[in-house]
This record gives sequence, structure tokens and C-alpha cells, in this order.
Amino acid sequence: MFYQSPLRTITLIAALCFLAIYASFGSYFAREIVIEIIILAILAISLDFCAGFGGMVSLCHGAMMGIAAYFYGMMSVKLGWGLTASAGIGLAAAVIFAGCVGWVTARISGIFFIMATLAFGQMAYTIFFRWRWLGGDDGMGGMRRFDLSAWGVNLNDGLIFTFWALGILLLVYILSALLLRSGFGRSLSGIHANEGRMQALGINTATIRTQAMAFSGLMAGLAGILAAQHTFYISPELLVWTLSGEVLLVVILGGIGTLVGPIIGAILLVLMKHSISAYTDYWHIFVGLVLIFAVLSGGRGIFGQGEYWWQKYMRGQHA
Amino acid sequence: MLEVKNLSKDFGGLQIIRDLSLKVEAGERRVILGPNGAGKTTLFHLLAGTLAPSQGEIRFDGAAIGALNAVRRARLGMARSYQKNNLFESLTIRENLMLAASAALGKSGKLFRDPRHDAAVKARIDEIAEQIALTETLDAQVSTAPYGIRRQLEVGIALATKPKLLLMDEPTSGVGPSMIDHFHRLLNQLPRSITLLIIEHDMDLAFDVADRISVLNFGEKLFEGTPTETKGNAMVRSIYLGEREGGEHNA
Amino acid sequence: MQNVAMDVSFWILQCLNALQYAMLLFLLSVGLTVIFGLLNFVNLAHASLYMLGAYLGISLAALTGSFWWALLIAPLLVMGIGAGLYFTLIARLRTAGPMNQVLVTFGLIFVFLDLVRIGWGDIALGLAAPPALSGTLHFLGINYPSYRLFIIGLGGTVMAGMWFILARTQIGAMIRASVENTDMAAALGIDVSRLFFLVFCCGCALAGLAGVAAAPILSATTTMGITILIPTMIVVVIGGLGSLEGAILGSLIIGFIDVFGAVLMPSFSALLTYALLAAVLVWRPHGLIAARG
Ligand SMILES: Nc1ncnc2c1ncn2[C@@H]1O[C@H](COP(=O)(O)OP(=O)(O)O)[C@@H](O)[C@H]1O
Ligand SMILES: [Mg+2]
Repeated sequence: MFYQSPLRTITLIAALCFLAIYASFGSYFAREIVIEIIILAILAISLDFCAGFGGMVSLCHGAMMGIAAYFYGMMSVKLGWGLTASAGIGLAAAVIFAGCVGWVTARISGIFFIMATLAFGQMAYTIFFRWRWLGGDDGMGGMRRFDLSAWGVNLNDGLIFTFWALGILLLVYILSALLLRSGFGRSLSGIHANEGRMQALGINTATIRTQAMAFSGLMAGLAGILAAQHTFYISPELLVWTLSGEVLLVVILGGIGTLVGPIIGAILLVLMKHSISAYTDYWHIFVGLVLIFAVLSGGRGIFGQGEYWWQKYMRGQHA
Repeated sequence: MLEVKNLSKDFGGLQIIRDLSLKVEAGERRVILGPNGAGKTTLFHLLAGTLAPSQGEIRFDGAAIGALNAVRRARLGMARSYQKNNLFESLTIRENLMLAASAALGKSGKLFRDPRHDAAVKARIDEIAEQIALTETLDAQVSTAPYGIRRQLEVGIALATKPKLLLMDEPTSGVGPSMIDHFHRLLNQLPRSITLLIIEHDMDLAFDVADRISVLNFGEKLFEGTPTETKGNAMVRSIYLGEREGGEHNA
Repeated sequence: MQNVAMDVSFWILQCLNALQYAMLLFLLSVGLTVIFGLLNFVNLAHASLYMLGAYLGISLAALTGSFWWALLIAPLLVMGIGAGLYFTLIARLRTAGPMNQVLVTFGLIFVFLDLVRIGWGDIALGLAAPPALSGTLHFLGINYPSYRLFIIGLGGTVMAGMWFILARTQIGAMIRASVENTDMAAALGIDVSRLFFLVFCCGCALAGLAGVAAAPILSATTTMGITILIPTMIVVVIGGLGSLEGAILGSLIIGFIDVFGAVLMPSFSALLTYALLAAVLVWRPHGLIAARG
């Protein structure tokens, strides 16, 4: 069950400060890295929400993100809608997709759930890969950032956009935390622990699972719109299943079921990727080995392991 | 309160429940007796909706509930404790009770409201913890708690929903005499607003608590009557009590 | 009349293409599915072993000068790699739950991907079909590459062999019993862990075999593993995880849908497969032919 412990709050603040400082005092390249981290972190929080707390290990979070990005692009670039309305449509599309996947898979679990989400994600990937009107496999460009000049904010400035993204990350964290500590979130944890007993208590577990996926889709959708606005370009690669696999990696690396761990995981993975690729072209092998090590070393992840030791230490103090 | 008519259940051709009829009055304490494999647990599955009967009708509070799933039946006020512990293992005892209490108090689906800080939920958790004598250990992890405590929690979760009908499947199986005594007192204290259907192997407890006793064997109802009638019935003695005189509890 | 004849030969050609793809999928999925049925283990890196089979086959063919030696030795090398994986990772992850298995074997995909890039480079490598099979065969009014016919034959032979082993031999009976109920099989005195190891090695060897066999048609690329993984998983899930009959049925279904979909409705063909998978998962979550009753 989720608790916003002081350790988690401190870690969250420290992580956000680190990103803010890194972006403020770093080069253009540092800001790019920070935004990459933020987008991955939002996606990872969104996945931790349903996998870490609801036991729904999804391999279609990339697709949720990509669908929001594509609908945002389609509405704003192809159909000329306003940016806010387009973003709304993008988020709605991601929520509907995630909700449908959640509803359809509400009665399956384990490897079958993983495979089913993989299939739905790849289905979405294939649609956009083939859809020539939206650029097909070439992807599509021309997306714009929100116009907040009325408030004196220019999102086209790299640093300001980074802080904007940081704000959305914080928002997503707060939204997840509030949901997870609500009756709904506690029920989700109950379903993770023992779905049958929740049903015996009169809880419609299919509804809770569907809602959880839909919320997760909303957060992944925010990542998608951020991604589209960041690079002004989207491609089907956003939806491909290996990207969802990497998001799962981030969650495991940081600490599944800790909510703040995924942010740590995203920071570590992106920094590791960039520093390794400065030396060698073969960063996959490091990522793969880190992932294997993360699971074999107990699967608690960096933050999860730290939290575990901390709690053990505190219990020792009290006893 | 609860009425079962001509209930049958086949498992791949094997009839586990045969043409069983049963009527339990509101507030009644009914004990189900029967040797292992008699079909008692299967009967509870059919009542709770986790198994579908092959034939027959179930009425609860006057309404036919045969077509309702387990979730809907639970919402009508049926709760159940299990013969094999069926707990939220990865959570604490308090969290286990909180899930049950919030479910019963309609706080389970609430967005943005933490049931931990809900007065009604808190009061319910404290009340049940007191009843099952777990107030001291509320924050212990279930997976590492001793068997006896887990057994109490199993009943506690069901009680926390304040059901109209409580199905208890061998609540004292595997626990020691002092805990059986405690449980015995707990049953006597439960208000008559809760109808009890108990599968129980401890004879002292069964005969003391029961208003009426139904005896199952090979899926059929052999006998039904008051504890005194049951003790005196020759058929019951030979098939059930006689069989058990030699051995103690079985798992 | 002319037109009809052309049409018929066109369809025969497509059927053969579908059959050939189905056989490739079968060689991969049969190992994956039996390993799942026995060990309860989902090995995403199975497709990496297929890729390794292709690359090793190409090197061996260059070394020995013969495709046939490559076809024989590469699967054995892949089997050795599989055995190494078994002792280092697979055995200890058997009870770790599907998420951890998916994660670790996903990590293995990354590792093998870069190992192949380091060893063989990023460019696609070809492998010539053996001289005996490099021509085309003329029959039923069509010309068909004899190497592709060879793959159909190879798949058919493996299929028949597996069928015979599982249905007629004692070891087959032991495997089936263990898929059905591992604890029961162990109680009956079957040395389950040795059986697991044996089956895992055979599955890996078949993946390697599929890799070598595919190399002359598809040529070896670093993405070939990831590309074939998804259809293979779909075959296994549609057929029913753990079921040999399911792998056969699933391979045929996916092979035919893929080839005929591409001909009949090019824009939807890829979608068809995923839609079918989704439908099966929803209506029959345990596959068309469930392995356990
Ligand atoms: N799912 C099932 N499939 C087949 N047989 C079952 C199943 N569940 C229970 N049985 C059989 O039904 C009989 C009654 O079981 P049960 O209801 O658990 O008995 P009791 O609770 O009275 O000991 C047993 O013989 C048991 O083997
Ligand atoms: Mg029983």
C-alpha cells in the first residue's frame, strides 16, 4: 500500500532539484537530457501506478503515450484545431485506449496480461506505422508548444520549457500519490495482494482495474504531449513495445511500487545511456546487464533497496 | 433469510452436492457437520457465488440470487471466512481490516479520500481488532504473522463487513484450545442481526453455539435438528460422530 | 482459361509461401511453448538464440565451406549457449514470476544484440543456399525455389518427429505428464529438473536451427530476433502456452494470415494478426488448445 513517507518526499524534492539545477546550469545538451528524463519519468510513474500498485504489468505504455502524441499532432497540425483542444483530444484518446485495454484484460493476469497488453500496444503501433496520412513510418512534424505569452511565459525558450515539463512531472506525481492513498488506490493495492478476496468483499475489481489503467493512460498521455511539443516531431517509434519494455526497466531500476523510485530510475538510465554512448556504440549491452542485475539482486531497485535498508535501520532503532 | 432448494453440483460427472435443501432463519446459528470431503466447502462456494451450481435455487432475504456473481452477493450482505487462509498477505493486519471496512462502508471506490483518515473506517477497525484480540499486533505484516493470528484475521475480515449472513468455514481449524475458547466467546457475543452458518469440527463449540445442526455426508443432507436431537440420532452417531471418536482433529 | 490457370498457380505459390513462413514460426514457437509448459518460463531471448543461430551458421558455412555442416553444428552451439543460460539465469528464475522473467530475458535480448553487433558488425550478412537447393523446382504449373521447399520439408520433419516423441515414446509421456502436473510427475518418480534441462536445450537447438535455415532467405541482421519475436509469441499464445498442437495450429494460422493478408488486404494484414491475438486472449485466455485441462 502506498504511503508518502518523509524519505519519499525528500527523495522527490532532491530529484526535482537535481533536474532543475542540471538544466539551469548545463548546456543546451543538458536541457535535452533533462527533458528526456522527465518524459521517461512520467511514463515510468504511470506504469508504476498500475504495475507496482495494481500488479498490472503493462507493455503498452509506449502506445498510450504515442496515441496521445499522435492525436495531438493530428488535431493541431492536420485539422487545424487549437492547441489546448488538441491536447484534450490527445489525452482523451490515451485514456480511452488505456481504459479499453484495462476493461478487456480485467479478467486475466500474469503472463497472459503481459502478452495481451503487448498485443494491443503493437496493434496501435501498426496502425500509425501504416497510416500514410499521418506520415506512416516517416513520422510527422509541425507540432507546436502551448502559447502562454498571455502569462508572460515563452515555452519556446528551452529552459522555460524544461521547467514547464518539470511542473508536469510534479503534477503527475501528486496526482498518482493522491489517487493511491484514496479508497480507490487502497482497493487497487488490495486487488494486487488478493483479487479473489476483494471480490468476496463486494468490490467490483474489474471496474477498479479499468479505472486504474485509464488514469495510467492519462499520465502516459501527458508524457506523449510533452514529447510531441518537445521535439515538434513524432514517429511510430514512440509506440513500439521495446520502448514500453525500457519503461518497465526504469521502474524496476528505480524501485517498483515506490512511485518516487521511477524518477530515480529514469535519471539513472538516461544519464547512463548518454555517458556510455560517449565512449562506445554498444550501450545496449550495459542496459541489458544492468536490468538483469537489478532483477537478480532482489528486484527492489535502487530507491526500493535504500528504503528497505532505511526501514530496517529505523526498526532497529526502535526495538 | 437463506433458503436453498434442490441444490446439486457436479465436478466432471462426480456429484459433490446432491439435491440439497436448507432453510436458515434470520438470526439463527446454524452449524454444518460432516466428515472431510462431504461437500461442505463446496456448499459455501455455491452460496457465495464462487462456483455455479449444476442445479437448484438459492434465495437470500427473499430474493433469488442464483444469477448473481460473488461480488453482487457480497454486496447484499454475505460474507465469508475461508477454511484455508485467504488474506492480503503482503499487507499489514490493519490494512487488511481497512480494506474490509472500507468495502462495507462504501469507501472503496472513493477518489482522493484516504480511508485511513476516515472516522467510520477507523472506528470499525478498532472495534473488530478488539473483538478478534489483535489490537496489539495491528501493524504487523500478515505474511510473517503466526498461524493463530492469521486465523483470527481471517474471521476478522469477514466480520468487518458487518454482514447479514456470515459463512464461516472451519474457523478453528488448526488453532489451540485457548484460541478456540476465545472464538467460542466471540461467537456468543455476536449480535443476532448476523445470521451465522458455521462449518465446525469442534463438537463442544458446535453443540453449544448452534440453534440447529445440519449434517452432510457425500453431498447429501443426512439429518437436521437441534443439538440435542443431533446427539441422540443413531444415524449421525454411526456415520459422523462414530467415525470421529477415534481420532482428533483432521486438517 | 489462361487466366484461371494463372490464378490457380498464383494461389498455390502463396500457399507455399505461407507454409514456409509457418514452418519457420513453428521451429521457433515449439521450443518456446514446450519450455513454458514445462518450466513455466517465458523466454523472450528465445528469438535472440534464433539470431545467434543465423550468425553462427554464416560463420560456420564460411569456415567449413559447407551449408550442411553449418546447419548441423550451429544449432549445437546455440544449444550450448542455451545450457549456459539455463544454469546461470533460467533455473533460478523459474519461480520468480512472469514479470521478472520477462525483464531478465528482455535484458538478454539487449545483451545478445550488442554481442552480435560486436562480433559480426551492423551490416546484413547473407548465406548462400547449398548448390543442391539453389535452383527452382517446376511443378503444378509453378516454379518454386527448392530451398523454400526444403524449409517446408524440414519443418514438417521436425513436426512429425516431435509428434512421434511426445505421443509414442516414454520420454514424451514424461514430458506430457510434467506439463499436465509437475508435482504429480515428480511424485511419480520422474526426474523433473533433468527433464526440464533436456527440453530447454532441445528448444534452444531448434531456435538455432530455425536461424540457420532462415539465413539464406532472410539474411542475418541484428534486428531479426526482435522482428520474429512478436509473431512467435503470438503463435504461442494463440495456440495455447505449453501445447504442441497449439504451436502447430498457431504457426499455420499466423503464417497464412500474414501471407494472404499481405496479398488480399495489404493495409490491414499486420493488424489482422494482432486483432486475432486480442480476440483469442479475450475469449479464450489460455489459447485455442489449452495445455492444461
Ligand atoms: N474443483 C473441484 N474439482 C473436482 N472435485 C472437487 C473440486 N472441489 C472439491 N472437489 C471434491 O469435492 C468433494 C468435497 O469437497 P469439499 O467441499 O472441500 O469437502 P469438505 O469441505 O466437506 O471437506 C471432495 O471429494 C473434493 O475432492
Ligand atoms: Mg472443507
